[in-house]
Amino acid sequence: MNAIYSFASVLLLGFTTLVSTSLYAANQAGLDAEIEELKAEVVELNRELFDLEEKLLYPATTSFAVFVSMDDVDDFSVRSVKLNLDQQDVTSHLYSKEQVEALRRGGIQKIFASNLKPGVHKLTAEIQGVDRDGRTMKRVVVADFGKARASKYLEVKIRNNPNQSKPDFAIVEWK
Amino acid sequence: MRGLWIKAWILLLAVSSVVNAEDLLPDERRAKKQDALYGQALYSLHSGEYDKALSLNSAVRQRSNRGYGKVLNIHEATAQLGLGMSRSATQQFQKLISDKRISFLPPKARAQAWFYLAKHFYTKGMWKTALKSMRKVSASALNTDLIDEYHFLAATLELFKGDSKRADKHIIAINKESKWAAYAMLNLAVNYTEKDIHINKVEAVFDQALLLSKNTETPEALADRIHLMAGQFFFATGRGRSAIKHLKSVGLDSAYTPKALLTYGWALTEQWQYHDALQPWYMLKTAHSQLNQDVQETLIAIPHLLEKLNAKVMALGAFDYATEQYDIIYKKLEESATRLNTGEFIEPLLSQQIPDRWGAFAPIDLSLPDHPDRVYLKDVMSRGYFQGELKSLRDLHVMRYKLNEAIDQLDAFKITTVTREQEYNDVKRERLVINHSKHLAKLNKRYKSLSKRIKNAFRDPAGHGLASDTEKEQLAAFLKVAGSIDNLNKKHKVKPDHYEKRLRRIEGVLKWSLSERYFERKKKVSNSLASLQREIQRTTDQLDAAKFAYQVAPKSYKGFDRTIAKLKSKYQGQLKKLELVYQKQREKVGGIVKADIKNRQERVMDYQLQARLAAARLFDETSNKVRSVATGEVRQ
Repeated sequence: MNAIYSFASVLLLGFTTLVSTSLYAANQAGLDAEIEELKAEVVELNRELFDLEEKLLYPATTSFAVFVSMDDVDDFSVRSVKLNLDQQDVTSHLYSKEQVEALRRGGIQKIFASNLKPGVHKLTAEIQGVDRDGRTMKRVVVADFGKARASKYLEVKIRNNPNQSKPDFAIVEWK
Repeated sequence: MRGLWIKAWILLLAVSSVVNAEDLLPDERRAKKQDALYGQALYSLHSGEYDKALSLNSAVRQRSNRGYGKVLNIHEATAQLGLGMSRSATQQFQKLISDKRISFLPPKARAQAWFYLAKHFYTKGMWKTALKSMRKVSASALNTDLIDEYHFLAATLELFKGDSKRADKHIIAINKESKWAAYAMLNLAVNYTEKDIHINKVEAVFDQALLLSKNTETPEALADRIHLMAGQFFFATGRGRSAIKHLKSVGLDSAYTPKALLTYGWALTEQWQYHDALQPWYMLKTAHSQLNQDVQETLIAIPHLLEKLNAKVMALGAFDYATEQYDIIYKKLEESATRLNTGEFIEPLLSQQIPDRWGAFAPIDLSLPDHPDRVYLKDVMSRGYFQGELKSLRDLHVMRYKLNEAIDQLDAFKITTVTREQEYNDVKRERLVINHSKHLAKLNKRYKSLSKRIKNAFRDPAGHGLASDTEKEQLAAFLKVAGSIDNLNKKHKVKPDHYEKRLRRIEGVLKWSLSERYFERKKKVSNSLASLQREIQRTTDQLDAAKFAYQVAPKSYKGFDRTIAKLKSKYQGQLKKLELVYQKQREKVGGIVKADIKNRQERVMDYQLQARLAAARLFDETSNKVRSVATGEVRQ
């Protein structure tokens, strides 16, 4: 009788171990899936927050933004951009290697966003970088622009100049 | 199983560069002109801000695809991969690049995508999946910069699968001057060590790998690694001299030094060079932390060696010393385990991570300066599986930070709306716009009347309108005098020419002066009027803008309350959910560390037991000898 009990106990123990092992594995896989699901939800929430931020902080009537882009520029690597709006330094940005590559691959960086009253304004962009030979280059571009009762977007554009070994720098107004 | 892990460790070490999420982008499509949202999404994606890239990508998708087609899906999958959401990303990626339509993806881009996907799986340790993807790479379409790396990875994966023929084909195809040739040779040598291959052939492959290591980015580190692997292999196969030759070549400040010194000592011991063997072990013992497992082995190896050198009293002392040291090490490990429970181990490590860097491609900062678990952590982190779990925990930690930050931001938004409403009400209460409007209307009225007066004043080009009272009297007097002269002429037929001349002269002087003043004054007044007009226009514009702002101001705070509250409650709910998952993952990581500490403690106890037994045996031997010598002396 004892032998039967012991056999049954061993069987039960074996079964319990098997079940708990498979449950453990399932839990681990479940946890990974849960983490991934959480990440997706956080990203979705961030998008909602981004929308709200755009609507609340920068209403369409007063919103003003400055973008930075590079167009087919292989012989210049931007290091920093400093913006001055109406005689006041408003922002500056130091670029990492990845960010330069991102610009080179067609990305557009929103370097400055704010609200601006209607009227005539002046934007100065100071661009520093390194050319193909490793020489430091510094250029200042200025734009006088008018702002009406609608959003205004400007772009600091670094363009390839096929006639020169240096790129062109300009501030372009988005229509 | 252990062999598999070692193999995994070796193969993973051989990869000198890691894959980045954006490498998986099969197409370098430039941002469409002036499409800020798409351009920003692309910028975030390439600069490694994957969560922002996903948000922007989703915003582009919601707005409408605008002809971007499947590119948005590729971007989404890439960003997901970057955030460590491997499952959904992999599914999406495979679906995308399996589509064989050339119009969708050119062969070059497809080959590159398969290659990077395979490399991603490879670095994650999912080698079977990696091999499947790697076999889909069309080598002829692959970028020439990637060809050697492709052959290296393919060879490694084929070796892992056990398909030597395919592996050999790939190894032969690697350019000998490429850095990948050395890594491929090393992997081949490791593969040979696990098979029944003649030892001379294995040695030749190791030598070849050493020769090619000069072409790599870190030739010294790779040479050290090759020497260590070769040394360990030759030591294990009983080729002591070959092992010594390789182990002696490992640098003294390399990451492989402890293991090399330990094996070097054992190899010398096998060659009966006991005196020489003591040197590397003492060096290892003094220069490295006791938490290093090689040092722990040395602690017991030294007295064994002393015993072999017949320095039994010294050996006895060294065994006692080792026993004490094992106690200390055991306690240190115990303290680590306690710190793990009290939140002084993993938590400081997490708190020093950069809050914006998370996901599969963001490395964990393991520096942990001035922390007692620094050495242990460095040791345990060399294991890939632990790194993966710790990364997940770090991601959850960063997500928690982000959720809290977002809640703070929502509170700030709430304050903004309240402030805006208050400001609006203040302006409304003070009737500023209305008052200013009235004031401006008054100014306009005054301006009009002023203009009328000025118009009157300048009506006569002779400038009479600008004459002073005295001048006006003079002009009237001139008229009177002219009338008197006329009367004189009519009544008395007297014509006083000299009076007429004098009158004209005086009148001429005054009129000249008046006409001069007229043009000067007109110019000045015109300028002042124009300036005033401009000022009034500017003020009117400003007032119009203020009126407009006043009208639209309620839009800047109305209706946001509900959105903010709703979003905040969503964030709070998410935070609660995250806390639960965080605790589970924390337990998992803690469990791994605890089990590892326990294993280390068991090993230390095992060493200690061996040391105690050996010390007891040695004590018996030495004391019996003393006794027998003493007995002998008595007998004499």
